[in-house]
Amino acid sequence: MNKEVAIIGVGWSGFHPSTPEVSYKELMYAAAVRAYADAGVDPRRDIESFVTVAEDFIEGTSIFDEYVPDQLGAALKSVHTITGDGLHGLATAYMLIRTGVFDVVAVEGHSKASNIQTLDSIVGHAQDPVLNRPLRLNTHFVAGLEMQRYLHDSGSSLEQCAAVVVKNRHNALKNPLASYSANLTAEDVMQGPPLAWPLGRLETATPVDGSVVIVLASGRKAAELSDNPVWIAGMGWCNGSASLESREWSTLPYVEKAAQMAYRQAGIGDPWDEVDFAEIDDTYAYKELQSLEALGICAFGEAGELLMQGAFDPYGEFPVNASGGSLGVGHLLDATGLHRALEAVLQLRGEAGAHQIEDVHTGLVQSWRGVPTTSAAVAIFDNQEG
Amino acid sequence: MTLLERDREAPSAWKGSLPVTSRYTYGLAGERFFRALKDEGKILASYCPKCDHTYVPAVNFCERCLSELTEWQDAGLVGVLHTYTLLFVDFEGQPLDEPELIGFISFGDGGIIHKLDANPDELEIGMPMKAVLKPQKERSGSILDIRCFQPVNK
Repeated sequence: MNKEVAIIGVGWSGFHPSTPEVSYKELMYAAAVRAYADAGVDPRRDIESFVTVAEDFIEGTSIFDEYVPDQLGAALKSVHTITGDGLHGLATAYMLIRTGVFDVVAVEGHSKASNIQTLDSIVGHAQDPVLNRPLRLNTHFVAGLEMQRYLHDSGSSLEQCAAVVVKNRHNALKNPLASYSANLTAEDVMQGPPLAWPLGRLETATPVDGSVVIVLASGRKAAELSDNPVWIAGMGWCNGSASLESREWSTLPYVEKAAQMAYRQAGIGDPWDEVDFAEIDDTYAYKELQSLEALGICAFGEAGELLMQGAFDPYGEFPVNASGGSLGVGHLLDATGLHRALEAVLQLRGEAGAHQIEDVHTGLVQSWRGVPTTSAAVAIFDNQEG
Repeated sequence: MTLLERDREAPSAWKGSLPVTSRYTYGLAGERFFRALKDEGKILASYCPKCDHTYVPAVNFCERCLSELTEWQDAGLVGVLHTYTLLFVDFEGQPLDEPELIGFISFGDGGIIHKLDANPDELEIGMPMKAVLKPQKERSGSILDIRCFQPVNK
């Protein structure tokens, strides 16, 4: 087992549909202070490098990376911002430590979604400017097209997709960070307003504000600083063909490749047997089923049936999104991967509270950057108690 | 005052916007593709003999093997409905008065995203769909030179 890099501290703030009282800097500051206290480090003295994830248009500020150091304790230190999901940031921090140059690195991601007045337009401008954008279509159409073809090829049903929403929002009832916990029936979900049919509005995660900071350390430093390190056993990432004209519409080959990369490092042959739980993409309900299949948790077309049998429930054989996922907790834009990582770390430390899963040693986290991207990042965490 | 306590007297937020205007160069392949659409009413493909892969819209390099592509073909105006959706919100996220039918029509190994002129109930994945072009004098060399796709038997 890979024991080179550990997560030694996690912190968060926000996790509300809106946070009008604080600026994004204050959200970041609150999460950072919590993470540093959790890790038992002084950021000015002990943290050698910082990685943040952010997207200028989402922030509404050009060259946004200029604005990240102060509130993290990163001024006059090695710091950089990448445009990617939080798990891409985690992978970058992981590699910084593996270079041997740094022993302690912090990663940050945040969402101040409530400040964004034109989120759909910003996402719309991620469409190809020549081939797609002239049609002036809301980018949810990409999810509608993908869901339709996925259902067609996999044999998964509308009921099974609705059951993902029922499960995740119900799981969220036990998670104090969740904004969208609810007791729904599959019927409620299917009778909800349509968005990009067959995709319904209730099958689409709603943005929330929040920030997550994670502190990583080398094996040597983790032994010195931490009583409960969570080890990064493997990390993988991959992008597919971005163009809508040449991508696959029913499978996620980029998720498959990212997972294989992470499994190879972690020495995992069969994730169903060797991983205890997963926090994965459910930006749209069907994505949870499609991602489970791409991750090799089950075969193509099997996830829906396993879901209906309860296999992915918190007390099932393979709990998926016991936290409530993005459907139950809310979607933190590019900090979403770090939210899933946070949930996995809490599970592996036995600190997940009311939604703690019994006897867990290895967790899988996966993230996607949303429509219209074909992006994937996967991480395997292990508490080494197995 | 703690960090999370709200000062009710404080101004809540400054509002601003970020205007961005760009030219998006079609490129050598794009220019040839859109010129053929405008002038000849044709959808062009390019073929990679090494990968046996047909790109629609035509491109001038293969994303699989990175070879330069020089074999251009007429892909015709009839493709196959690969997937479709009925979209209920506009570009900005506001509800549409009438939902829009959108499809991916496959041609060769690629295809075209466009609006569909059809009754949603008559659509079936795998059915042939034809491009409806604007009249030649209204065409400007853009994806909007295709007005929509319709079932072939319509």
